[in-house]
Amino acid sequence: MTHAKTSTMDLAARWLVLGLLVVYTLYNVGPIFWLLLSSFKSRMDLFTMPPKLFFTPDLSGYQSVFGVGAAKDSASAIGVFDSLVNSIIVSVAGTSLAVFFGTLAGYVCSRFNFMGKGDFMFFVLSTRMLPPVAVLVFYHLMFARLGLADTRFGLILVSIFANVGLATWIMKGFFDGVPKEVEQIAIVNGYTRMYAFTRLVLPMVKGGIAATAGFCFIFAWNEFAFASILTTTQAKTLPVKISAASGATGIEWTQICAAGVVLIIPVLIFFYLIRKHLLMGMTFGVLGRS
Amino acid sequence: MSDTKIPSGSDTQAIAHATRQNVLRKRSSGRLMIFGFLSPTLAILLFMVAYPIFSLIYYSFYNFSALRQSTMKPVGLGNYAYLLSDPELWERFIFTGKFVFICVTLQMLIGIFVGYQMQKNFRGRDVIFTILMMPMMLSPVVVGFLWRYMLNSEWGIINFLLSSVGIAKIDWLGQTNAALWAAAAADTWMWTPFIVLLATAAFRGIPETIYEAAEVDGASPAYRFFRITLPMSAPVLFIALILRLIDSFKQYDLFVALTGGGPGSSTETVSFSVAKTAFSYFYTGEASALAVILLVIIIGLSMILVRHLTKMGEKY
Repeated sequence: MTHAKTSTMDLAARWLVLGLLVVYTLYNVGPIFWLLLSSFKSRMDLFTMPPKLFFTPDLSGYQSVFGVGAAKDSASAIGVFDSLVNSIIVSVAGTSLAVFFGTLAGYVCSRFNFMGKGDFMFFVLSTRMLPPVAVLVFYHLMFARLGLADTRFGLILVSIFANVGLATWIMKGFFDGVPKEVEQIAIVNGYTRMYAFTRLVLPMVKGGIAATAGFCFIFAWNEFAFASILTTTQAKTLPVKISAASGATGIEWTQICAAGVVLIIPVLIFFYLIRKHLLMGMTFGVLGRS
Repeated sequence: MSDTKIPSGSDTQAIAHATRQNVLRKRSSGRLMIFGFLSPTLAILLFMVAYPIFSLIYYSFYNFSALRQSTMKPVGLGNYAYLLSDPELWERFIFTGKFVFICVTLQMLIGIFVGYQMQKNFRGRDVIFTILMMPMMLSPVVVGFLWRYMLNSEWGIINFLLSSVGIAKIDWLGQTNAALWAAAAADTWMWTPFIVLLATAAFRGIPETIYEAAEVDGASPAYRFFRITLPMSAPVLFIALILRLIDSFKQYDLFVALTGGGPGSSTETVSFSVAKTAFSYFYTGEASALAVILLVIIIGLSMILVRHLTKMGEKY
């Protein structure tokens, strides 16, 4: 009797777990689905009640993101194409330099003991915790004085700073995984340490560099706080442009949804490419920036 | 015999270690490499972090506006005294605290639950996992706008779904309390996957043999979870908790897009308040003082995090 009772209870518990998982999955996936669907809706279809699941797809949102077609000249278009270009330039340049500097620093932190190493590592890590608005109060003044306000160069500088700490930590983790004997043998055989680093160790952490670049790119690509305060017209990135996306007829939801979809595509590609290193990178890099 | 053997063994190890370190250090200008490789990172961090923070502290003692940079009046601790006696600032802190508490609680509970289910091997696990991670990849601004779009009281999908089960329209972003929950729902939507990711990794790192031993002793599933899984993954879960605590505490982007701080200024976080003081009112001195207060809190939380990280580093 008791046995039968526990098994029905087990079954109930299993159904409860399954039900909760389904609810969570709907909560998790639903908004993404809605974003994708809405990005193809015309302005008319957006506001109909009850909301339409089936409708004639309308590409005006995407046209305005890529600056093509009829949307280009219409009054309601907010012209996000320039900001897409800015986003690409800033995040690619910022990521490359952050990963380059972070790889060098990560290597030294993995292989050498030097004075103040612990403090240096804490300082590097603490940059990840820094609330952007706090330093922005001063950047705002500093950028104006140095002529960096509203320039891509200024944003690239911010992007390097915001990601180099993460890159250093993740790369240190990957270098720690390479045995020290690699350099020792090379040095015993008369090669320089620099040679051992560039020709032997670096090729061994290729995957790690790609993963680090993926992470940094995602953060640089989605970055909002810095870009929103430090740009006014010329250097606006896509997330900033989205936040100001109100045209002649209120908020341009179709364009926002389309821009949201465009923003997530490169991230998805990177995520797919680095999926093997995801957990490793997450643990070492102490995780994404919000 | 054994008394002398053990120390001598570790001695030779230490000597071997020391010579290895020496070889590494002496050969081919290690010092130059340390300096050359660290300097770009150090230079950019000093310029972009240390210099701004010291300047902020300096400005926080002045009555100063970015608009009129020629007039700087020293006020000592005046900015701090003003801020700490300002009931509005305390409201920001209370709102931020409520937001952090709701977000972190929900995210940890849901994240641990889903992570516990995701640790099992089943068909399509990798695909489902990748799909579950998607909210985290969106820009916070997009997340804010997406939820603002879905939460619209007239034509939003959420009120439509609620009305189809007989719940009356809720003006989500027009009331302080509803807006708090809306923001928490959006933040939880975005960041629960992060906890799922870490929790899954932590749970999968627990050796199977421990569970097998418990199985032999006839442990119940509840016992398994509360006495084995949770304690053994506690260090990772704790780090996840602190990270979410810090990140939701400094949340800014989401509120810009979702509520704009409204209705009124009732959904302004401390970060939002810093930005408003500095870039709308241009009370730069006051904003600097508030930024310093924010930094002190964040640094305090970070130090707890780092202490646990280094402890974990020693363990593994």
